[in-house]
Amino acid sequence: MVKEIEVEPITRLEGHGGMRVVLGDDGKVQDVQFNIQSTRFFEKFVEGRYCEHIPRITPRICGICPIPHHLTPTKAVEDAWGVQIPEPARKLRQLLINAKQYSSHLIHFYALTAPDFLLGPMADPALRNVVHVINKMPDVGAMALKMMDFGQRLCAAVGGKAVHPIAAIVGGMKKALDEDVRDKFLKVIDDQIEMTKKTVDIALKVIDDYWDVVANVGVVPTYYVGMTNNGVHDIYEGDIRIVSPTGEKTDYAPQRYLEALGEHIPEHSYATHMYYKPAGYPEGIYRANTLAMINCADKMATPLADEALKAMREKVGTNVIHHTFAYHWARIIETVEAIEMIATLLKDPDIVNPDCKTLDVQPREGNGVGITEAPRGLLLYNIWSDADGICKKCNLLVATNHNIAGIEKTLMHVAKQVFEDKALDGLKLPDPWIK
Amino acid sequence: MVKVAFWQNSDCWGCHQSLVDLHLQLLPVLPALEIVYWPAVVDFKYDSLVARAPGEIVVGFIEGSLRTKQDVEGTKLMREKCQIIIAFGSCSCYGNVHGLANQWSKEELVRRKFSEVESIADGSGGEPTQHVPGFEDKIVNVDKIIKVDAYIAGCPPRSEQIFGAVGFLLGQKPFPMNDLAFCNDCSLNQSGCLLDAGKLCYGPITSIGCSLKCPNAGNPCVGCMGPAKTVSARASKLNDMTKNLASASSGDKKTSNEFLSLFLNVPLMAGFDLSADILKQVKKRGTPETPLANLPPDTVSIASNVLGFLRDNRDLIDISNVCDTCDRIIGSKSTMTKVKRDYEGLPNLEDCLIEQGYICMGPVTRAGCGALCVKVNAPCSGCYGQTEWGVNQAERFAETAIKGFNVSLSKDELLAQVKDKVGTFEKFTLASRKGG
Repeated sequence: MVKEIEVEPITRLEGHGGMRVVLGDDGKVQDVQFNIQSTRFFEKFVEGRYCEHIPRITPRICGICPIPHHLTPTKAVEDAWGVQIPEPARKLRQLLINAKQYSSHLIHFYALTAPDFLLGPMADPALRNVVHVINKMPDVGAMALKMMDFGQRLCAAVGGKAVHPIAAIVGGMKKALDEDVRDKFLKVIDDQIEMTKKTVDIALKVIDDYWDVVANVGVVPTYYVGMTNNGVHDIYEGDIRIVSPTGEKTDYAPQRYLEALGEHIPEHSYATHMYYKPAGYPEGIYRANTLAMINCADKMATPLADEALKAMREKVGTNVIHHTFAYHWARIIETVEAIEMIATLLKDPDIVNPDCKTLDVQPREGNGVGITEAPRGLLLYNIWSDADGICKKCNLLVATNHNIAGIEKTLMHVAKQVFEDKALDGLKLPDPWIK
Repeated sequence: MVKVAFWQNSDCWGCHQSLVDLHLQLLPVLPALEIVYWPAVVDFKYDSLVARAPGEIVVGFIEGSLRTKQDVEGTKLMREKCQIIIAFGSCSCYGNVHGLANQWSKEELVRRKFSEVESIADGSGGEPTQHVPGFEDKIVNVDKIIKVDAYIAGCPPRSEQIFGAVGFLLGQKPFPMNDLAFCNDCSLNQSGCLLDAGKLCYGPITSIGCSLKCPNAGNPCVGCMGPAKTVSARASKLNDMTKNLASASSGDKKTSNEFLSLFLNVPLMAGFDLSADILKQVKKRGTPETPLANLPPDTVSIASNVLGFLRDNRDLIDISNVCDTCDRIIGSKSTMTKVKRDYEGLPNLEDCLIEQGYICMGPVTRAGCGALCVKVNAPCSGCYGQTEWGVNQAERFAETAIKGFNVSLSKDELLAQVKDKVGTFEKFTLASRKGG
């Protein structure tokens, strides 16, 4: 008899998803589905809006990563209208997106991921959550909250609001940081760097504890998509980079995205399946998000993060890492880069320079592309403007969406490991930190 | 332990992020809550919610817009399982930006997303139908399909607002409730007390700890810090005054209105359907049993007076708007002579943005946000919802702006210069427009 295992909903994520595994009589995995059950049609209802209003609408795509959804359409409209922004605005935006990267990665690591590892995968579902972690490990919990708080406050200071920011405008930023506000963040930046180092220690310990899992479960060769700035890890500006399963790297300027990124409409998910066009579907299915970014990067942008990347590659033994559980590790490396970037930018006088908006902004007909790397993957906006600067059409390739097909492919791989190869039976699991 | 559940309709998680943004302040609250459903954070599955007894959960938060059939089904399930339902955030209250999709048919939306977009590259396309819920034709407010007990508007609602509402509804006093009342800190305590001068001021029952912005500017305390553990000597005077709100001045009524929304965190919006359970208690017994019962007796009495008055006089109250909380100068040296687009120029930080030529929705948008957008030079875009409903919002904005601000345009001139009226005036509330 065919057996269907249903998980409804998938928890500890932002969004609406379920999954299904179908097992045949012979115990073989017949089908795996990752069902995304909602979509809101942003690409349609921004039609007819003023192009400069789109960055005030689209942050509502994601409440955890509204900042990339604020900055990326702004960049797309700037591309369409041929607008150059002043250097202080560029730095403020870099500061803003790194503050978001920091708080988002930490909420992911501590609130969404950590319960699995600290309580162990066999723990009671009623307890396997961040509330229990905070109750049982109050010191770690308080540290995590202080770090997220720093990131969110910095987002609010630069972006105007932490959730659904408003400070970016076509042509730059509406306001620079006030000096006294900047000083408050500078005062605690060294503490934050120390807490980040402690977080790295915790993460490395978890990875060591679970090495058997990291090295053996869900090691799935795929393509990867990310962005780099001439090969250097960058989340605000650069080119699209594709890495093949064997490590070949190909770069595409954002405006050439249609040569690289293809969309397949599945029958069982409102989030579409993305793939690398030259390789076709499904062969070209790629993954996005932290590990993909790490695989794309020749090097990290900051010294501590680059050291951490080198250490990771040395330990795994390859430059392209297909280990799904290493996503958490990659996330921590990106967190280190974010706090180093924040520290550098906070000391830069440009971020308090009020000359952060060009007055030379004129709508014109054309289409523009903007990309950034959101905490959950490459984010791309293609906006068509008419001569009055009203949006005629929009195409969105959203961060998590880049990863859906890759996640489903990984689920299939892991389902086979679990149900066909019984690979979990002999796995070495550590004693949980929280019992 | 109080059982709470969070239901997410088609949303962005931003309301939850805003809740989580309380960070360290959450620590004392968490042990009081038994979270029985919150997919974003805890691992309970849908079946476990279905298995709950009717009314077993005390408070249910409903976030997100009703875009899919699953959203509608889950919302109805929550109503069955929860004693109090809170419409949490502007999606739930007004439909939010997703309501802009109501300008197109479902077929047009589906066609663009699943068939027409430029990146579809392998000949696939069409609406997915397998193990997905299907879409509603139009987005409507949550209170169109179930009874809602309280509303927390905002996109997202401010963290403090959520915190206060949770505290109020749970009666757990988790909000910043210091021992002493506001009067102890007040710059007007020794001389110039507003209460002594016969003006309503909620300082005697409000917690200390704010920046004293209101009394420093000669304005009364509206209670935004929440209740204090003890009340000041002037509490009985305040109690007497609130017994006779019917004859209060319009300024005092406005203060009381703000008090209700800020101190009690009963959000005021269209239709004024207050947290019904509390109102019912007031009606039946004169005072509610919970959660006000945990507060000092004078506080309970005063809050009940205000609740009672507002219950009977819903139309008398002018709802505060964003301008009431904005520091910019109205009647400034600037005048709107043409409507500027947001990308044009760079406004100064002192003068009213409308007077500098921009469409700022402040005067027609309900307060609660603290004018955060305006502080970074971005005009208000209305995410807390309109202060008045059932009218043409574009015309109302134009009339309000011309009446109260330096604007040298006629209504027709002003509106003719705004090409995207829906996106400008009803970005967050199109789904709430009367008649759909």
